[in-house]
Amino acid sequence: MLIAGLAISVVVSCMLLINPYMTSLLIDNVIVGKNTEFLVPILAAMMIVQVLRMGMRFSMHMLLETSSQHMMYNLRCSLFKTLQNQEGSFFSRNRTGDLMTRMTGDLEFCRHFVCFISHQITDAVVMFVSTLIFFLLIDWQLTLALVAVTPLLLFITQKYSNKVRPHFILMRERLSEMNTAAQENIAGNRVVKAFAREAYEREKFKECNRNFRDANLGINRLWLKFYPFIEALANFMTLITVFVGGLFIIRGSITAGELAIFTSLTWALAAPMRNLGVLINDIQRFFTSANKVIEIYYSRPLIVDRSDAVLHDRVKGHIEFRNVSFSFNKVPILKDISFKVEPGQTLAIIGPTGSGKTMIINLLARLYDADRGEILLDGCNVKLWKLQQLRSAIGTATQEVFLFSDSVKGNIAFGNQALTEQEVHDFARRAAADEFIQKMPEGYETIIGERGVGLSGGQRQRIALARAMAVQPAILVLDDTTSALDMETEKLIQHQIDNLPFKCTKIIIAQRISSVKNADEIIVLEQGIITERGTHEQLLKRNGYYRQTYELQNDISVDEKAVFNCGTQ
Amino acid sequence: MARNKFDIDEKLESPFSMAHLKRSFTYIRRHRLKMFFALMLSGMASVAGLFGPKIMQWTLDDAVPNKDISMLALLALLYICILAISILFTTVRSHIMARVSQDIIYDIREDLFAHLQKLPFSYYDSRPAGKILVRVINYVNSVADMLSNGIINSILEVINIIFIVVFMFSTNATLSLVIVAGLPIFVLFIVVIKPKQRRAWQQQSNKNSNYNAYLAESIDGVHVSQLFVRQQINIGIFARLAAACRAAWMKAIIISNSVWVSVELLTQIVFTVMYIAGVYWMGGAIVSFGVILAMGQYVSRFWQPILNLANIYNMFINNIAYLERIFETMDEPVTVDNMPGAIELPPVSGQVEFRGVSFGYEPGVPVLENISFTVEAGESIALVGPTGAGKTTVVNLLSRFYNLTGGEILLDGKYDISRVTLHSLRSQMGIMMQDSFIFSGTVMDNIRYGRLDATEEEIIAAAKAVHAHDFIIEMEKGYHTELNERGSRLSAGQKQLISFARTMLANPRILILDEATSSIDTKTERLLQQGIRVLLEGRTSFIIAHRLSTIKNCNRIFYIGDKGILESGSHTQLMNKKGLYYRLYTAQASEMEAVVH
Repeated sequence: MLIAGLAISVVVSCMLLINPYMTSLLIDNVIVGKNTEFLVPILAAMMIVQVLRMGMRFSMHMLLETSSQHMMYNLRCSLFKTLQNQEGSFFSRNRTGDLMTRMTGDLEFCRHFVCFISHQITDAVVMFVSTLIFFLLIDWQLTLALVAVTPLLLFITQKYSNKVRPHFILMRERLSEMNTAAQENIAGNRVVKAFAREAYEREKFKECNRNFRDANLGINRLWLKFYPFIEALANFMTLITVFVGGLFIIRGSITAGELAIFTSLTWALAAPMRNLGVLINDIQRFFTSANKVIEIYYSRPLIVDRSDAVLHDRVKGHIEFRNVSFSFNKVPILKDISFKVEPGQTLAIIGPTGSGKTMIINLLARLYDADRGEILLDGCNVKLWKLQQLRSAIGTATQEVFLFSDSVKGNIAFGNQALTEQEVHDFARRAAADEFIQKMPEGYETIIGERGVGLSGGQRQRIALARAMAVQPAILVLDDTTSALDMETEKLIQHQIDNLPFKCTKIIIAQRISSVKNADEIIVLEQGIITERGTHEQLLKRNGYYRQTYELQNDISVDEKAVFNCGTQ
Repeated sequence: MARNKFDIDEKLESPFSMAHLKRSFTYIRRHRLKMFFALMLSGMASVAGLFGPKIMQWTLDDAVPNKDISMLALLALLYICILAISILFTTVRSHIMARVSQDIIYDIREDLFAHLQKLPFSYYDSRPAGKILVRVINYVNSVADMLSNGIINSILEVINIIFIVVFMFSTNATLSLVIVAGLPIFVLFIVVIKPKQRRAWQQQSNKNSNYNAYLAESIDGVHVSQLFVRQQINIGIFARLAAACRAAWMKAIIISNSVWVSVELLTQIVFTVMYIAGVYWMGGAIVSFGVILAMGQYVSRFWQPILNLANIYNMFINNIAYLERIFETMDEPVTVDNMPGAIELPPVSGQVEFRGVSFGYEPGVPVLENISFTVEAGESIALVGPTGAGKTTVVNLLSRFYNLTGGEILLDGKYDISRVTLHSLRSQMGIMMQDSFIFSGTVMDNIRYGRLDATEEEIIAAAKAVHAHDFIIEMEKGYHTELNERGSRLSAGQKQLISFARTMLANPRILILDEATSSIDTKTERLLQQGIRVLLEGRTSFIIAHRLSTIKNCNRIFYIGDKGILESGSHTQLMNKKGLYYRLYTAQASEMEAVVH
């Protein structure tokens, strides 16, 4: 389609010469020759040519628009696909604002290139080359004199091209920085207000805004340094035609008629030259953006299905960690972790802040790959599972709840689109969320904001829990899911989790003893090492972290019992 | 509550009107002298340019036939001079206009961003972040050229047309009328397609905005999408949105392209009619053949600027779809703002009084009704009650994140919080919210956000007080470790500790902790409580927590429910009262007892 468009562009450029020729016919035959009978045919012919030319030009533009939109659509989709499958480390390297710039501004330049610049370049080249050949046939000496400036012009534009490249890269960086600053400000607007940092944020953004402006002006300044030379050299062609041509006539080497052809068509050589500078700007900008797009296009996630990955019949939910270690940025997070969970059993993980509890889940779901050791699901290394099947088997209620701007219903059914209305309500009820959802203005159809803004922490946790249960996974993971809930609600939920309508292995991460005490096995994770393991009773007997935490959480209830007893006496 | 999501087109509240256009001029006005100068330069450059062909003519008509080489050289020199002047003027104009257009973008973006800072939570809560972002970044970039070069060029083209019309009519009025007659037809065409074209470009900007919203959200929530294996479905949704963008663009561009096609065709029609008329009149010798020749050239001379204007017009129609969105955002009402005559709140001791306070997020749906209480300076107050009862609302009202629907809130018994400046009010409060937001930057920068002039020692001291120091120094660069936005490498508890340090550093008179320690392990929590006890000395504090153990030591406990305070008093008092708090507490206690046995 693009080729067709550009081919038409060539024809259209050539057709531009027909009507001026017809005009000269008109003048010679009708006006000067007084042959009125030619008037209507010539005018009709001109009209037809014009209609044809416009039709072709219009279709050329539409072809180019269509093909560029098509290209952008395909690029967008394949880039999005790449983004969707990238692992955590990719997103810690690339800020949201920068990725947004690539997916919007950078792609826009690529589109602009295909739709507009490509046709400009073709036009310029066709025009230049065809005129050049035509000129050479008439008089090669004058033509050579004429194009003598071309090498100089090319040299200058080449120099400009090299010089301007870093400026475009800088401008692109500035745009991305500004995008990031604005994006973060919008996302963190609550914190900004809480600390009354509006003025500070404005200053911060002002600097980005100013830097972006200055980068743009920098490009312009450089361009204006070169522009006079490019423009002057392009105009020199006209100068040479007339004055050198004039000399040639005086010397008798060409005729006046020949020179007339030269003068009337010099613009066809000069215009592409004049445009060269502008095109260089567009091309450089395109290259800068294209590089950024290509970077994502070719970035392949490290965690993908292995070629020997197999599809399992069903997932039983047997989990085993064998001497698993993991480091992030060379800081060890997990060291030599081993444990086993039988299908249907419950494993609880407790431990201080930042001890690596969540990372165990991330490794199991292969959001990261372990550095050493093996993680087995149903006796088979997780690396040998198809990612799709592996992750579908794990339903996680994440610690930090990310909800999508969608209805409550849509959010609960996020991982299981096939859910009926009734089932959505059922899982909400199990997560003790039904009551408050019913009270919302439009119940289950209420749209909740991105990240669940407008909901309290406890409400968000319950929707996330319903979302995880709705998948009916073989492994249900509750990562600190009830921390923002009162004890009564938590108890209710625990009861529901013990009586789920499907069989699953459970992993519960929590800070509260009350959340973990009923687990088949509890492991205590401290600084990435399992320091204690056993049942609630076994762990209480040891004088370790578990026992201490238990006592800390319990002392209130001990002296509460005193109050309680006082009250009843 | 959100009213918009990624696949809902935003309705346009205010259609584009002359007022918008006038408003754009406020951004242009401050550059009017520069723009006038640029206009003059352009005019002079064109006039200088006109001499070029004249010199050519002299060369070919006089110098060459006379074989006068010295005249040839002289004319060549003259040509170079004119060229130099013309290039100089054009360069200076480009320089000025680049500055002007960049300054216009800068100003619009600055105003838009400044206004966004004033907008209430509800604004951000009710639409996807990507839809706000696209306005600040992409839309503003688009309109600059229209407001600078677009305006200059259209003025130049109009002047151009006037000149040509004068020349044309002085040559032959009747034939000129034929040429000009095409214009009403063109205007009619524009008027007819305008509503369609406007709608098409508005649609395009809507689809673009939806695309942005979904993209931003997908990048931020990619972790969840992967966990729930939603990639395929998401790719499908995304493809649909991208296809909608493509369709909207094609629809708009086809209309815009028809504009120049119609101009070109009209030019040809006018040319034809003019020739036929001219030639037939010529038989009656009304016009000479020189006149027809000249008029033939005027046709394109007259219609070329119209074509250019049509292209500028296309740009206007396209960009107005963006401009109206920008202005719409700027017009978004600032519901919470400094009152006229608001005073700077002097340092307060921290006494807080609610007098008959009522509030609801939606009109007619009260969350709190007529609540009154007084908290003495230095007192610590716990807010308990069922989820969604309005605990967070109480503290949000105190920070004036929302305006009351009734009653007033006083500080130190004399300062109505709605009559002091927001900045002076909130800088005396330390608010730690349920979500701990981490900015991209170092750990140090993140804590410093609480008090911008804090020294490194003070920052480290704050981190030590909340027991964040240990894990911070374990990271590869300690306090200078770069965190990415939202701090994805930190655990939820660690993020809470950093936010806590940030709040403590702010050295507030009134401290608000809303579920501040929910993700922190019990041991750290206890250490932290001891650490901040010193810091809390003399400060008024409001604490919301579900783990009642953390609030037992507060001076007073308010049980929030049924749109008001149902019970208040110390832990012992409330326990003896055997009311709602007692029930809540014993539920937890019996839960604990179950753990014991």
